[in-house]
Amino acid sequence: MTTVLLAPLDPVHDNAIKLLRRKLEAAGYTALTMPPGVTEEEVIALALQERPAAILVSRTLGYKVAETLGHLVDLAEAAGLRPSTRLGVGGMAITQETGAELGFDGCFVGALNMDEVIAFIEGRPQQARQQTAEAAPRPKPDLTEGFTYAFRDEKIARLLDSITEQLLEWVKDKQSPGIERARLRAELLTETNPNSRAALLERYLSFCDAEIQSFYRQGKLPSGVRRLEAEEIARAPQRLNPPMPAFESLRHNRQKPLFFAQYGTGCPIMDAAHVRIAEAWGIDGVLHFDPSWGAQREGLLEGLLTHEHDGTIITFENLHFIRSFMNPATLWNVRGHRGLNTPETQVLAHAAGADLLKINIPYGSTGGGTDPERLAVDGVYSVRLASEFGLPFDIPGNDELSGVPPHKTFAGLLVMVMLGLKLGARPIPKPLLCYSPYMTIEGLMDDNYVDMNVAKLRVWSEIVDAPIWPGEPIGFMTHTPERVQSALTTAIHAALASSCGAAAATIASSDEAYSKGPISGPARVDTLRATREMLRFFGQATISPTPRAAELQAQLHADIRSTLEKIAARGDFVAAIYEGLLGDPSDGLYPGRTGRGSIQTRP
Amino acid sequence: MSAMQHVLDALDLETFLVCQNEAEAKELALNLAAELGLSHADVVFVEQSGLGARVRIRSYIHHPGQGYGWLKEETA
Repeated sequence: MTTVLLAPLDPVHDNAIKLLRRKLEAAGYTALTMPPGVTEEEVIALALQERPAAILVSRTLGYKVAETLGHLVDLAEAAGLRPSTRLGVGGMAITQETGAELGFDGCFVGALNMDEVIAFIEGRPQQARQQTAEAAPRPKPDLTEGFTYAFRDEKIARLLDSITEQLLEWVKDKQSPGIERARLRAELLTETNPNSRAALLERYLSFCDAEIQSFYRQGKLPSGVRRLEAEEIARAPQRLNPPMPAFESLRHNRQKPLFFAQYGTGCPIMDAAHVRIAEAWGIDGVLHFDPSWGAQREGLLEGLLTHEHDGTIITFENLHFIRSFMNPATLWNVRGHRGLNTPETQVLAHAAGADLLKINIPYGSTGGGTDPERLAVDGVYSVRLASEFGLPFDIPGNDELSGVPPHKTFAGLLVMVMLGLKLGARPIPKPLLCYSPYMTIEGLMDDNYVDMNVAKLRVWSEIVDAPIWPGEPIGFMTHTPERVQSALTTAIHAALASSCGAAAATIASSDEAYSKGPISGPARVDTLRATREMLRFFGQATISPTPRAAELQAQLHADIRSTLEKIAARGDFVAAIYEGLLGDPSDGLYPGRTGRGSIQTRP
Repeated sequence: MSAMQHVLDALDLETFLVCQNEAEAKELALNLAAELGLSHADVVFVEQSGLGARVRIRSYIHHPGQGYGWLKEETA
């Protein structure tokens, strides 16, 4: 058994030595420890007696560091220990520079990393260990694993069955330009014959807006858009693919939730940089956000394109480029839940390697979104694609941010859950943890942010056994431009999601409430760092709401059922959206208008 | 390549300004950015209380979609 000598060259502090002893013994080493206040001569005397593979000394106090440690190195040299015994040093008073200047073989700075310590004892290069950790594949998590999707509220299940049967019957004979393009895009992705490709492209363009047609026919880029230059593309891998540290989860000792971050700086290169930063700080997955204008035009562009506005343009090349920089274990979602290109987005996302899709008919067809009739047709087709691709799809519930009460939003999410299940897909509802306008107006969160958010998560487990993913992002409308406050509110909402057993959560950057510029790299680190610290603080401990949470949960459950009863009684899901049963103008919600009149009924 | 070219995107400057009110704090913050040679600076956050104001000033060294200094070839 390999022997290691541990000595605190410090008059008082030996916590690090005790911790090291426990961990080294657990790893199968014989760890000999000395008490605080030991002299350098005593350390060397014991080393000559025991002949350890390594001497690890720690130093916390900052005075006489160089004299004390330098003396130890000199004594080890004079005693002839150096060829057989490696000398390592760590502790609060030590920097990499100090350790190297004094002649130590190894220097340990920052949090204890046992892999690093063991590599040192065994004489393996530390850099090699780091690269091995990066190269070692992590399993890709499955958010839906272990969930049965069995409905626990049978009345709600019957209502959803009725609503979704009607919707499926209604879309059966309907067609849209979006669906036509999705089919053609799928063919274009695999067709290699130039003549056949040209013919397919012409058909594709017959379903596109004029601006998209002029891009393909005349090479005219939309305003503010440029192609990435060859030099930029060539240099990106060198800058964005450095050796990465071993992945360290944010979750401390929990398995859930998985944490996601959104990106969409407008530029694929900057996106890749942001993804790499998020990965290095412990993110499990990322979501691609596209520009809002992309949702309002019929047709998508091609090529590696960048622009100086929010949201990164969806093209196969952009998606593929960004994906190529991600760790293979990073879960990747491409937003396509609203807009005229919803089906085609699913096709491109799947082709580029997405792990999750995003579809929500009621939310996507309100506010500045798509006409409800159009998105109902495109949305059902997109859910079919998710099923065909074998990919889960998540269902954002962000209509709450317009002022919609959660029971109406959740009713819409539930319709999408049942629709997904009927079509063989794996849906993931995303209730928001937020301080929404409805809560502000009604005063339902005046006392605390815990009770209502707990009610909003727990009500789901009363209804259906499905993974719950609070997003997008958690803590919406609690953030301010003050970065400490912003990071803290994200972290505490992450702890709440974790405490409630959420399968995943989407976290913002500390730039969430700053609207005058793009999200910055350091702002991403802020919230990842804060979330890690918060989850370390809580560990397996949970957050207890007040008794008010149970009352809110019961009311929410009853209101969800009541909303679904009204929709089922209406007998027409699309009409229910138009008529505001899932949110009306008094809730700040209006039916979307984009793509109105574009649905065709097949004879 | 200068250190500034290694800034990924935004450069934030946080400090406490001794001043009378938020309006003065904003003006001082932007003047400070100009004195430090930071172009197109913006005040991300300002909060005045008592003695002065806590401020965060931001300047985008590399705006997404533009060219990035850190992507260019290193020159001696």
